[in-house]
Amino acid sequence: MIDVFLAQVETLKDAASAESQTLDSAILGEQFYFWTVVVMWLIHAGFMTYEAGVARRKNVMATAMKNILTIASVTPTFYYFGWWIYNCNQPGLPIGPNSSDFTSAACQGGIPWSDAFGPNLTNNINLIFFLAFLLFSWTTASIMSGALLERVRLSAYLVLAALLGSVVWILDAAWGWSAGGWMTLRFGFHDSIASAVVHGVSGAFTLGVLFNLGPRIGKYTKEGLARVFRPNNLHITLLGLMLIFTGFYAFYGACLVIASTAFPGWGTIYLSPTTLGSISMVITFGFAGGFTGGYFASRGDPFWTVSGGLAGVIGVSAGADVYAPTLAYLISMATAALAVYAGNWIETKGRVDDVVGAVAVHGCSGFLGIIWVGVFAAGYPTGVNNVDSSIWGQLLGVATFLPLGFLTGWFASWLLKKMNLLRVPPEVEVAGLDTVEYVPDIYLPEVPVKPAQLVEPDGTVVDADPLILQELLELRANGGRPSGERVGR
Amino acid sequence: MPAIINSAPDCITHNEKYSADDIADFILQDNYKDCAGFMTFGPGSTYGDGGAGATGAYMTLTWIGIVVMVIVFVAWVWYENHRLTTFAETGHVPIHPIEDAPPSPSAQ
Repeated sequence: MIDVFLAQVETLKDAASAESQTLDSAILGEQFYFWTVVVMWLIHAGFMTYEAGVARRKNVMATAMKNILTIASVTPTFYYFGWWIYNCNQPGLPIGPNSSDFTSAACQGGIPWSDAFGPNLTNNINLIFFLAFLLFSWTTASIMSGALLERVRLSAYLVLAALLGSVVWILDAAWGWSAGGWMTLRFGFHDSIASAVVHGVSGAFTLGVLFNLGPRIGKYTKEGLARVFRPNNLHITLLGLMLIFTGFYAFYGACLVIASTAFPGWGTIYLSPTTLGSISMVITFGFAGGFTGGYFASRGDPFWTVSGGLAGVIGVSAGADVYAPTLAYLISMATAALAVYAGNWIETKGRVDDVVGAVAVHGCSGFLGIIWVGVFAAGYPTGVNNVDSSIWGQLLGVATFLPLGFLTGWFASWLLKKMNLLRVPPEVEVAGLDTVEYVPDIYLPEVPVKPAQLVEPDGTVVDADPLILQELLELRANGGRPSGERVGR
Repeated sequence: MPAIINSAPDCITHNEKYSADDIADFILQDNYKDCAGFMTFGPGSTYGDGGAGATGAYMTLTWIGIVVMVIVFVAWVWYENHRLTTFAETGHVPIHPIEDAPPSPSAQ
């Protein structure tokens, strides 16, 4: 009798122990994602700083405000329909919360009126996981913002940011960056830290928008050669990128799934095992190789050296859960160098005015990233069906995400352009966005305004104002089309 | 699916679908249960004495990385020396054709 009683007590202790252990695990997981959300804010502080430094002085405040208001635009849209898209579209087409598909349980938590969206004593994870994804959405939209500087309307940008951040990227994430996504379930598509899912798609979307937006006035000569507009503050730009890099570690960490009661405790979004140390190692070697490749490809140019670091990291993100350190070092070096050459080609041959090289750094590197996995890291079981990663699965990713991003960006911006809501009037662009939308000059009177200068294609530095004014007059005579423009016309 | 380079170590099994144990553990570990480390080109097992487990492809990869690193250091030294001495001798930094240098916000 005593033995039976003691056995029952032991059973109750085990159950209580298991329950408290599960709750501890949930609390620990909640805390982990909370701190990744906090640190990921540095990515946005970095984007704001980086872009404000590249912009000309007359557009600095408009640039900064655009980055800040990205948060105001993407947050509610991601809540009201973005999270639903991710959780209820993984099989390819939308499902309902009562569907027979195994992702229907997640779909229940994706509906904006779900009680999983408020304080819920049985669910510590949904909200904080949502917030981590929200920060990814801000990042995706912010990638586009730098490319459109100095001539896009704030309202047009905010609409495009909501579309990119709350619909386009999260749809491709449902398909290829989830345990139940059809691309992973059937084809073993493997993009563990969102190379193409975030960066590739954002770059493709941005390219579509740039085709309709057109270059800045004075960017190209009549012969189509590119001029260089001098940045307002290059040191701030470099600092901004370093802030982005800091926040990237939290981005990487938030891409993992944590289950602290199960050994080894860390998994990718596809639920395959990895470790926090492994992905941290890959991102760090990604920076090292990226800076190196960017430096030599650009012959020591500071902007492209630091941008090369970003390109390198993006290039190794897709396989960060499995890459050996040496492989990450070599891949990031090659990716950064290719990004530099791609940026050059896009600007000079393609005549696409991408102010910060976002299409090259994010778009090209993002798609290269998933191709590298197919080339160097095939054979890894991916997703709940354990389909091996392969070059064909990765190429399917390119074939799916590239048109998804490009066509939606092109079409949305085309609609805005047709309504004359995409670009500021040329008179406003020449005067400076700050003057019209915010304050005439953000600097105190003690800081004199030097005449703006630009660099001609042959390297000579000239005063910008007379040239830009001449372009404005010709623009009016040509019916509103900047000279030298070729792409998209 | 055919692969270009199947770099997954041999300790990884390729059982499709998930097992009951995997569901319980939440992380899909069944295909990795025979592995300790499973990095690309790695040996897929806990190293023996003094790194004895690192053979073949992984050793080759590591040495490629070491060689590239050395080349990078040599290149850094050479390139900077070239720029500095050219300026000291001519008063100008080396000029590259516009086609070679990407347009950059850093341009002066």
